[in-house]
Amino acid sequence: MLHSTRFKLIFSFLIVSFLVGGISLFIGGHLLYKTVLREATNQAKLALSAAADVYRTNIKYVNVALNITTLGMGFRSSFIDRDLPDLIDRIERMSGYAGLDFAGIVTQSGTTLCRTGPNSRLEDTGQIENPIAQYVITHHQPASGTIVLTLAFMTRENPDLSDRIQFYPIQIDSPKKTAQDEQQGCMAIAAAIPIFEHRTSGELLGVLYGGIVLNHSTGIVDSARKSVFFDEIQQEISMPTATILFNTIRIATNMIDENGLRAVGTRVSEDVKQEVLVRGKQWTQTHFYLTDQYIAAYEPITDIFGKRVGMLSIAILESNYSAVQRKVILFFIITTLMGAIVAVCMGYFLARRITAPVTRLIKASWDVSKGNTASDIGPISKDKEIAILQKTFKNMVEAMKRRRMASESQILQSEKQASVGRLAAGVAHEINNPLTGVLTYTHMLLRREDISDDIRSDLRVVAESTDRVRKIVKGLLDFSRQTKLDPEPTDINRLLDDTIKLIENQALLKGVSIQFNRREDMPMIVLDQSQIQSVLLNIMINALDATKPSGAITISSTLDLIANGPGHPGIEISIEDTGCGMPQEYLTQIFDPFFSTKEVGKGTGLGLSVSFGIVKEHGGNIRVQSEIGKGSKFFVWLPIEKQVNQNANFSRG
Amino acid sequence: MQILVVDDEGIVLKSCKRVLESEGFEVILANSAYEALVAIDHDPPSLFLIDVKMPVHDGMYLIKELKQRGNDVPIIVMSGYSTNETIKEAELMGASRFLAKPFTPYELLETVREVIERR
Repeated sequence: MLHSTRFKLIFSFLIVSFLVGGISLFIGGHLLYKTVLREATNQAKLALSAAADVYRTNIKYVNVALNITTLGMGFRSSFIDRDLPDLIDRIERMSGYAGLDFAGIVTQSGTTLCRTGPNSRLEDTGQIENPIAQYVITHHQPASGTIVLTLAFMTRENPDLSDRIQFYPIQIDSPKKTAQDEQQGCMAIAAAIPIFEHRTSGELLGVLYGGIVLNHSTGIVDSARKSVFFDEIQQEISMPTATILFNTIRIATNMIDENGLRAVGTRVSEDVKQEVLVRGKQWTQTHFYLTDQYIAAYEPITDIFGKRVGMLSIAILESNYSAVQRKVILFFIITTLMGAIVAVCMGYFLARRITAPVTRLIKASWDVSKGNTASDIGPISKDKEIAILQKTFKNMVEAMKRRRMASESQILQSEKQASVGRLAAGVAHEINNPLTGVLTYTHMLLRREDISDDIRSDLRVVAESTDRVRKIVKGLLDFSRQTKLDPEPTDINRLLDDTIKLIENQALLKGVSIQFNRREDMPMIVLDQSQIQSVLLNIMINALDATKPSGAITISSTLDLIANGPGHPGIEISIEDTGCGMPQEYLTQIFDPFFSTKEVGKGTGLGLSVSFGIVKEHGGNIRVQSEIGKGSKFFVWLPIEKQVNQNANFSRG
Repeated sequence: MQILVVDDEGIVLKSCKRVLESEGFEVILANSAYEALVAIDHDPPSLFLIDVKMPVHDGMYLIKELKQRGNDVPIIVMSGYSTNETIKEAELMGASRFLAKPFTPYELLETVREVIERR
């Protein structure tokens, strides 16, 4: 099964299909993943810079709001006059418009004059530091930016805010609250505008300050997201998120946790802290957060004192991109599998096309080996090679049929000769001794003069009959003779000339013409001259006997390179007569010992079988064609190369 | 002129004796190689007529024995089964002529006379 053509074909197709599919899957998937990742990282970086813009715009916004207030008609006079109700009204309205969480006015000594919220007139002695106002008092110029505010400051500014700003940060990898981890204070974007004696110059009289607390804020992160990812807002799930971090704690985000709340209060990992907060670099990474894998970009936030106090971050859900990758991989897999299915089908049908005729050929071969040459091999295939195989097989079977018939008859002939030869040798030898006695005494009697003519004539019959017996026995011995050939190079045309001379007179007397068509460039043949001559003579005498007066005998010598020999070059001598011919049934018997068509007493019937044996020993063969009333034609084929068959002896002593 | 005929067949011996004696030859008969070797000690012949195929020791053995004993009397070898090899072998061993059985009285006498004359 494993070695069948069908399996091999299907297996090969499958291998190719999986190889191509697998390689494209691997390379395609890998390349795609890298591209997607790069794309996602770039997008995250772009988004991060956009978010930073939004962040800065918000700072500017606070700054503008405060500036407008200080420049407002009557603000400075109200401040100089210490008209607190008017000042409070002004900053309350400003806070309302600009969405400030806190705002207030500080005198040049650092004492808060008034502020928004419930503690609007609570004076303080400067024990609780107001870092942004202090910055302006010190530097005599406006300030805006990120600032870290203490819990105490915020509680005084607006006790309502204190809930919002407190966190018990959770480290994702070690989710436990410790006192050390407890975050003190909060991060805000704030601005402070100096109030001078004259419009923009003169002595510094006080400072207007205000800001937005970032802890738990939504405005900046949401607008950052909206401004950057406007086109993606529709797809709620794949929306990127913006996050503001105070130190390492997420204080404002639109990332939603499993409870549907904003996922604030967690810390980022140590390496992010090291890279961004400590070294101040932008940083991009894929990492796992909450329930999903994100591609996140971070950049540091620096406060007005130039100190890195927090981070701004954008996170994009990786599944947005890996979904594309998954789809492509799935497509590749499906294509590969379909290719495999097609490969299996193709392999199956191709194998069928190839193996079906081959299977039939195999069956036919079995049949032939069992002796049935009539087996059907089916219709000739359209495949060129298979068709050639089928035709060759047919030809082979035909050739085998012909050769088997020929060799069967030849084997039969040889066996007949061998057994008759052995018998003849034994009989002849035994008969010859008593025959010596008969011949001796008959002739001794005939020598006597005291016998009557009657007795003499009777004795003559005995002598003649005995002589016939002698000839028959001699023929038998010739037939079974195990003489070695005495081969020598011979000019076959000359041998034919010599042989024809022996019967020329007889033919002339009978009125039969003899014609010899010689081929001149005959090669020398190595053969036993006397034996081959006796073969030729025998056939010629038979021809002469069969031919009536005015008939003709035609003898030809031809060079026959391969026609009759088993792929062996040779020569062929044909002896054709216009005699009486032979019936077809005789043709298979004429080479049998003692077969004769002549009248009893005229021939011993050993001639042709002896000829057959001699030619056989020379490695040649004798064929005959005959038609009744038209004549017979004998062909003697002899190989050109010396190929004397030493093993063709039929008997031994 | 004395001729020793060696053959295991009685009828051949008898025939030879009948023909040769009718022509005035003196004939000694032996029906085996052994008998022949015994006979030549008593009465050495001037011609041998030896059959090839005999039981126990054949004609070839006898010829070999004779040649070994330094006997160079002419030998005629006869056989009922005359192959080229037999003839050649006999000639090689020193036989003067080969005579194929069966033979007529005329053939036998011709052969004997030829051998004697050649000598």
